[in-house]
Amino acid sequence: MEHVTDMKKSRKARERKRALVAYSFIAPNFIGFAVFTMIPILCAFALGFLHWDGNNAIQFAGLDNFKRLFSDTIFKASLKNTIIYCIGTVPLTMIASLALAIILNQKVKFRGFFRTVAFFPYVASLVAITAVWAMIFHPSKGPVNAILYYVFHVKNLPNWFGGSLIMVTLVLFSVWKYMGYYMVIYLAGLQGISAELYEAASLDGASTWQKFLYVTWPQLRPTTFFVTVMLTINCFKVYDIAIMLAGGGDGRLGTSSTVLVYYIYQKAFVEWDLGYSSAIAMVLFAMVLVITLIQFRGQKKYAGE
Amino acid sequence: MKKKLVSLLLASAMVMASLAGCGQNGETGTEGETKQEETEKEDTGKEDAGEDEAKADKQEEEKPEDTPAAGSSGISGSDSAETVLKWAIWDLKTATYWQEVADAYTQAHPDVRIEMTDLGSADYDTVLSTELSGTGSEFDIVTIKDVPGYATLVSKGVLEPLDERIKADSLDLSLYNGTTEQLSVDGALYQLPFRSDFWILYYNKDLYDAANVEYPSNDMTIAQYDELVRSVAKAGFGDEQVYGSHYHTWRSAVQLFGILDGQHSITDGNYDFTKEYYEMVKKQEEDGICRSYVDTNASQLHYSAAFSEGNTATFNMGTWYITTLLSSLASGEYDSELCGNWGLAKYPHPEGVEAGTTLGQVTGLSIPTSSENKDAAWDFIKFAGGEEGAKIIAKTGTFPAIISDEVIDIITGLEGFPQDDATKEALKTTKIYLEAPYDENISQINTILDTYHKDIMNGDISIDEGIAKMNEEVGAIVK
Repeated sequence: MEHVTDMKKSRKARERKRALVAYSFIAPNFIGFAVFTMIPILCAFALGFLHWDGNNAIQFAGLDNFKRLFSDTIFKASLKNTIIYCIGTVPLTMIASLALAIILNQKVKFRGFFRTVAFFPYVASLVAITAVWAMIFHPSKGPVNAILYYVFHVKNLPNWFGGSLIMVTLVLFSVWKYMGYYMVIYLAGLQGISAELYEAASLDGASTWQKFLYVTWPQLRPTTFFVTVMLTINCFKVYDIAIMLAGGGDGRLGTSSTVLVYYIYQKAFVEWDLGYSSAIAMVLFAMVLVITLIQFRGQKKYAGE
Repeated sequence: MKKKLVSLLLASAMVMASLAGCGQNGETGTEGETKQEETEKEDTGKEDAGEDEAKADKQEEEKPEDTPAAGSSGISGSDSAETVLKWAIWDLKTATYWQEVADAYTQAHPDVRIEMTDLGSADYDTVLSTELSGTGSEFDIVTIKDVPGYATLVSKGVLEPLDERIKADSLDLSLYNGTTEQLSVDGALYQLPFRSDFWILYYNKDLYDAANVEYPSNDMTIAQYDELVRSVAKAGFGDEQVYGSHYHTWRSAVQLFGILDGQHSITDGNYDFTKEYYEMVKKQEEDGICRSYVDTNASQLHYSAAFSEGNTATFNMGTWYITTLLSSLASGEYDSELCGNWGLAKYPHPEGVEAGTTLGQVTGLSIPTSSENKDAAWDFIKFAGGEEGAKIIAKTGTFPAIISDEVIDIITGLEGFPQDDATKEALKTTKIYLEAPYDENISQINTILDTYHKDIMNGDISIDEGIAKMNEEVGAIVK
């Protein structure tokens, strides 16, 4: 009898020791995460309910900061623009990168070259390529408007960097810049699909389209899940592209082009209204969290099938 | 249940990490680049009071390579001096006037030693405000870079009011062209201006000669100015086109004609008075008199390039551009064939307002409440912000806060400065209205006005709509 309890004890001790070793391995990363990410984010949560300018005494604000959001037209404009941007960018980037991956997964000539070409915008400096886009879409001197004018005889040339068109420009730019990155992820996914499945499908007389629909697409589901989650989160974070394309020389955005992260930055580090800016950040956080949860649920449903 | 919790936690961790920039994506790199660009824009000492954000590019002048290391320090005076004054500044290496002023003072006062600490221009306000937090700092003199930064420090209560000292020494504040009134907070002044910049008209004499139009005069109403730039403009293809005027994308360049009448201020909360100026500029755009905002914005055209291209006849900008113009022409960076024959005229003013009324910005000096050498610090501030200091600053090609005849002689005597009397006369101001006067909500107001300024100029909303939005949004703050 005693012998058994002894055994139990020593096993427990061994387990605890093993756990401690494991924790010690996680510790460096986790401490870093806690100090530089977790704690600041928790602080931001708290700040949303406070008034603070970074200097004076902190005052409790209750829901003041959140109430202010409803009457702030610049906030509403930035929220609207961010959502439009995401709705435009996420599906388009997905389709474009998947199409590219499928094409460049086949045995075409110069495959490596074309893969590099597709990936290039992703590695190119944002500052440099936005400058090129600014030239291409320049309202009075750019080739795009020149074609519209001389070939299609458009009288009122569009301003691609303002009004309702700026969101179109932003979406196009973003799809072009990021499709290469997601193409690589899809390529990896495609190469992970066993050739046997295609063979079996061929024997069953499946057409190319049927093979895509019943083999490729279901097999890519985990990849697609990853891609949509990353894309959505990255889209909500849009800031630099808007500044570079719509900001003009002084990096300022009007209501047609302003986005949430820009407004958060303005409120926090230009106006030092840290409470209000945290409240806006919370809205952004809540939106992304909800969307990600929906995506997780969708993924689980399919995985369960 | 447990599974659900785990997935919820997983999801939120993922979101957090990605939002915080820890996610695996390429954007962190590009954000870094944008940031880098911004810091590079920071530069000499051309920036000061005024719109907080505008300053970042007003300094876009040409010395990105010598972004000085923040935290470096300069020393003036002997080691054995009894009193040591610590002075917070920025851009010690690129802006020469700090050292010049300090040296001139310590030479006259051998018992004082001045130690300058460079806090860097990029985040000067933030660093300074952190320095002065809590138990106070070692600084005896701090430089006030702009009005929003000033507003922060004043509301924090870390600056010494100077009124009693000014009264005791019977300082004549009228020498500061009215700027000190706009910086007073409930009747108290917490900084003494020592540098200033104000807006003037630059013009290209060759283009005026070619059009056979008389040069802009030093006493023009805004209506006359509109007429003049229309008469000098020339439609044409490519090189033939001459723009009568040019407006940089800043709100100051268009909207702030409205505050020159002295009746209005951007802190009022009502902007109906700016309508006629928006209309004037939009009409000029429509008629091809100036570059359209949409074009300037899309090509990110810098104002220095607009003028140096040699197809802009008249151009409203601050005096900080004089130094750039002089040095870039001397170094051959600007083609003197295109823009070498330039002149200056006083800023156009509304009907019934005295000529020489213009917009401006100031940089001031303050004493922190925590200083132990307040009297010695005040003596230095009085010197730097006074007429003697003004002359020393002017010699470095920078505009001091007091612009006396002597100061004008020094600046117009700089190599390459146009020698006609009208241009020299243009530097005399009667009243300077700050681009951003003191108001506790000044940075919030600036954000709103800048946003709708962009919308109006981009043509996204009409002038009336834009002004209505400004009234509504700022009105809710100032009440």
